[in-house]
Amino acid sequence: MANNRMIVGFFIASESIFFLMLILAYVNFHGSVTDGPTAANSLNPVVTGIFSLFLFASSFTIWLAGKSLRNKNHLMLKVWILATIVLGAVFIFGQGLEWSGLIEKNITISRNVFGTTFFTLTGFHGFHVCVGLIMLSLLLGLALAGDFKGPKSDAVECISLYWHFVDGVWVVVFSVIYLWAFL
Amino acid sequence: MSVLNFLGAAWSFEPWALIFAAALLASYAALPGFRLNGRSLLFSSGVLLMVLTLVSPLDHLGRNYLFSAHMIQHILLLLVIPLMLISGIPESAADKALRLPLAGAVMRFLGNPVPAWLLGVGSMWVWHMPSLHDIVMKNESLYIAQQICFVLSGFIFWWPVFAPARRARLSPLAATLYLASACLGCSILGMLITFAGAGLYPAYANPTDSAGILSYIRNDLCITPGVDQQIGGLTMWVPGCLIYLAASMATLARWYASPEPGPAGIPAVEGPLAKADSYARD
Amino acid sequence: MSSRIPIVPENTIPLPSLKANNGLLSWVASVDHKQIGIMYLIITLVYFLLGGLEALLIRVQLAHPGNDFLTPETYNQLFTMHGTTMIFFVVMPFLIGVGVYLLPLMIGARDMAFPRLNALSFWLFFFGGILLYYSFFTQSGAPDVGWFAYAPLSEKPFSLNKGPTYWALGLLASGIGSVASGLNNVVTILTMRTPGMTMRRIPLFVWMMLVTSLLLVFVIPIITAAFAMMLLDSLLGATFFTPAHGGSAILWQHFFWGFGHPEVYILILPAFGIISEVIPVFSRKPIYGYEFVAASTVAIGLLSLGVWAHHMFAVGLGNVANAYFSLASMLIAIPTGIKVLNWVATMWGGRINFATPMLFATAFIIEFVIGGLTGVAIASVPIDWVVTDSYFIVAHFHYAIFGGSVFAIFAGVYYWFPKFTGRMLSETLGKWHFWLTVIGFNMTFFIQHFLGVMGMPRRTYTYYDMPYWGSMNLISTIGAMILGLSVIVFVWNILASLRHGKPAGDNPWNAWTLEWATTSPAAVENFELVPPVRGRRPLWDLAYPDMPDEPGAKIV
Repeated sequence: MANNRMIVGFFIASESIFFLMLILAYVNFHGSVTDGPTAANSLNPVVTGIFSLFLFASSFTIWLAGKSLRNKNHLMLKVWILATIVLGAVFIFGQGLEWSGLIEKNITISRNVFGTTFFTLTGFHGFHVCVGLIMLSLLLGLALAGDFKGPKSDAVECISLYWHFVDGVWVVVFSVIYLWAFL
Repeated sequence: MSVLNFLGAAWSFEPWALIFAAALLASYAALPGFRLNGRSLLFSSGVLLMVLTLVSPLDHLGRNYLFSAHMIQHILLLLVIPLMLISGIPESAADKALRLPLAGAVMRFLGNPVPAWLLGVGSMWVWHMPSLHDIVMKNESLYIAQQICFVLSGFIFWWPVFAPARRARLSPLAATLYLASACLGCSILGMLITFAGAGLYPAYANPTDSAGILSYIRNDLCITPGVDQQIGGLTMWVPGCLIYLAASMATLARWYASPEPGPAGIPAVEGPLAKADSYARD
Repeated sequence: MSSRIPIVPENTIPLPSLKANNGLLSWVASVDHKQIGIMYLIITLVYFLLGGLEALLIRVQLAHPGNDFLTPETYNQLFTMHGTTMIFFVVMPFLIGVGVYLLPLMIGARDMAFPRLNALSFWLFFFGGILLYYSFFTQSGAPDVGWFAYAPLSEKPFSLNKGPTYWALGLLASGIGSVASGLNNVVTILTMRTPGMTMRRIPLFVWMMLVTSLLLVFVIPIITAAFAMMLLDSLLGATFFTPAHGGSAILWQHFFWGFGHPEVYILILPAFGIISEVIPVFSRKPIYGYEFVAASTVAIGLLSLGVWAHHMFAVGLGNVANAYFSLASMLIAIPTGIKVLNWVATMWGGRINFATPMLFATAFIIEFVIGGLTGVAIASVPIDWVVTDSYFIVAHFHYAIFGGSVFAIFAGVYYWFPKFTGRMLSETLGKWHFWLTVIGFNMTFFIQHFLGVMGMPRRTYTYYDMPYWGSMNLISTIGAMILGLSVIVFVWNILASLRHGKPAGDNPWNAWTLEWATTSPAAVENFELVPPVRGRRPLWDLAYPDMPDEPGAKIV
């Protein structure tokens, strides 16, 4: 049904506004930090960039999963969903590493406005990735149980739409936080 | 220099602007089905307004003194002038062009809303990145490229909404969403420029006073660099958005004015509700 | 397409009613849009009584200068809870609830596009309200920072109690519910219409719900993000809105009003929709200028997004910014004025039947225009600087929200109550309710314009004995008591009519939209047969096949 894709489309538009506000808050305070940690002196763009590649790659694998479903290739559907979950999980693992590193250096959400806006923005994005991982796991479970005969499935299409969105948000967040500070 | 002298003297008839205008007019005259009528008047006023924007004292102000003048130029070139040009193209010409292989392919590509939206909103954002804007102000050929880019991307932006061929247009509700989201993109940039501290565009902070009107601007009009930047940002934000809003009103008006596809295909239903005959006898 | 017309040969399923489907579970577990709609209406009535009680306590405290009926702390809690309740738990959910009940009926659909999501929206709203009101039972009491919870007052160390946290959590939950109903409404309206019900023929109420729902979808996330930041500030020690730690209190104002101003239109646009349904039916004429009413709604929706800073003229954004926002705010008067002209033109030359719904609709036009005119006045920066944070503002927005939205809500209740319950509300009690409301409302709030111009500040628990202030406040308080009496009459009317009201029949008002083509209350399946839709007034076309609204629809 077109209904499902339409509501996911509007939902994503609504979510975009939510992230836009978090990004605007980050931008608003960018440059107002006079002492203490900032993006430029406490983040590592290379490591995060490498972990980001895993997330970007997962957008590609979920697209391949959809393509496999259209070709009624059920084995590859499961494989590509699994690959997406693994790539997304690696990204979250990377974010966990980054966060624990920062917290060890006593850079926390309450340290200054950089900490506040940084942890809020990346935290809400990470939360969305986790929700996506849960949905993908459900999808995988259903696929293993023999659901999704193909060639079309709204569940697969909607979840991959959401996953692309989460990915797209990270492109913007990464550019605003990391590229802006280091380029 | 007094203000009147400035208004008289600051005209710069740069050849590229005149050539660009002539090229537009020539290609318009070459359109199939060209006739002198209201539409061609609209198109040529669009070209005239473009020439005025590019050669008049407004251009001098925008390039040397005031960010806000630059922004007025920008809104005219990106939003107003392309709309006049598109509305000037006769429908018959567009219909014929759609049948030609190459022109048809180009027009179908133009009609794709996603790249058109990205181009229309993106050209605002990209050209107003402070570092790029600074470079453009110092580089003549980049400046020319910027102005032409404004007009062309504005043209492409409006195409899915006001394409001369009806078939190429978005449905009115989709067009409203298209315009509203563009308005959002434009507002956010305007907002950032308005509320960012003064000095976002350093070229306007201490302009070389080539025409000798700086003291008039700063002292008589009280336009400090900070105020100037605010006027610029707000011009993009409020009047810019009103143009998108007016355009979506125009789409709705066009929609309501066109005839309803008609009642064909809707069955007359006999059944329990035939008793509705007893309704509404008042 | 045609398979979407539900054709049920014999409707043997009993109608949904508390008596027939006894057992609370049949309601709690329901995903039927009519039951959910009715639950919305019942809960909003409860909150309306609570919010009204809070307002009466406020007015009693203000009845004479230096009164000590309430402590300052209690007073602050009461005016905060009154504003929050009335906006987020009365007007907004009422309009959503009426929409949930009527949208599928008006477009000839079986249910909403996503019935379970619909139930989720309702329960988020329900529990959000409970979360907010639970704060009264905590040790530190209810939130006491105003309905806009300006930072840094709402932040540590100025608010050490948990009130603002409950406030943000409750509104966060119900806000997510509102986004979900917005999404559901948009998809329902765009995809579930019966054949022939084109987007140019949908009833104006549906059109306005579409614009409102789009506003919900795009505007609520602004405040959701701001609530999240506020909660992070108070629970995890983040510093978004605390200037002492590098944050910005003005940012909260931008976020809050970026949501708050469109919210005003979320409250008023469906009310416009109700009025646009009631006035034609009781003037026995089609709406004058359907297209203008519809298009001006879109204009209002879009304009509303860009004018929030007029709530912040006193903040010091700079003269240029103030001037632009002043101009843009005044522009909203144009599409709103267009609507008023259309309603008046619809009544002009009509055979007006002043039944209670029409009385409220007519009064709506007058009261709302007063609120609109004071709105244009305070869109002007110098006037705003003089009267901001005074009782003039209180009077202004009560004329817009009570005189506007709530009057329309009363009109809608009297108009659709027969459809919701199968019984008419009493006209006698309805007229009592109407006149008590009009007298009480104007007595309470008109005089506050003068109090405001004379300098009485809002949000203070008492005031000095300045010349005339005491007597004017007493008049306002007496008006509030009359208004309270009118609500008692209203509730009495509802309770009495539920038992003994005149049976309504399918279409008691001889109305023309599809919801009147089914039984009252609407059958479980909504329609036995959806009438053919060949114009904007399907039931008119059905009754007068030789005089259809659209000439092409004539059946030969």
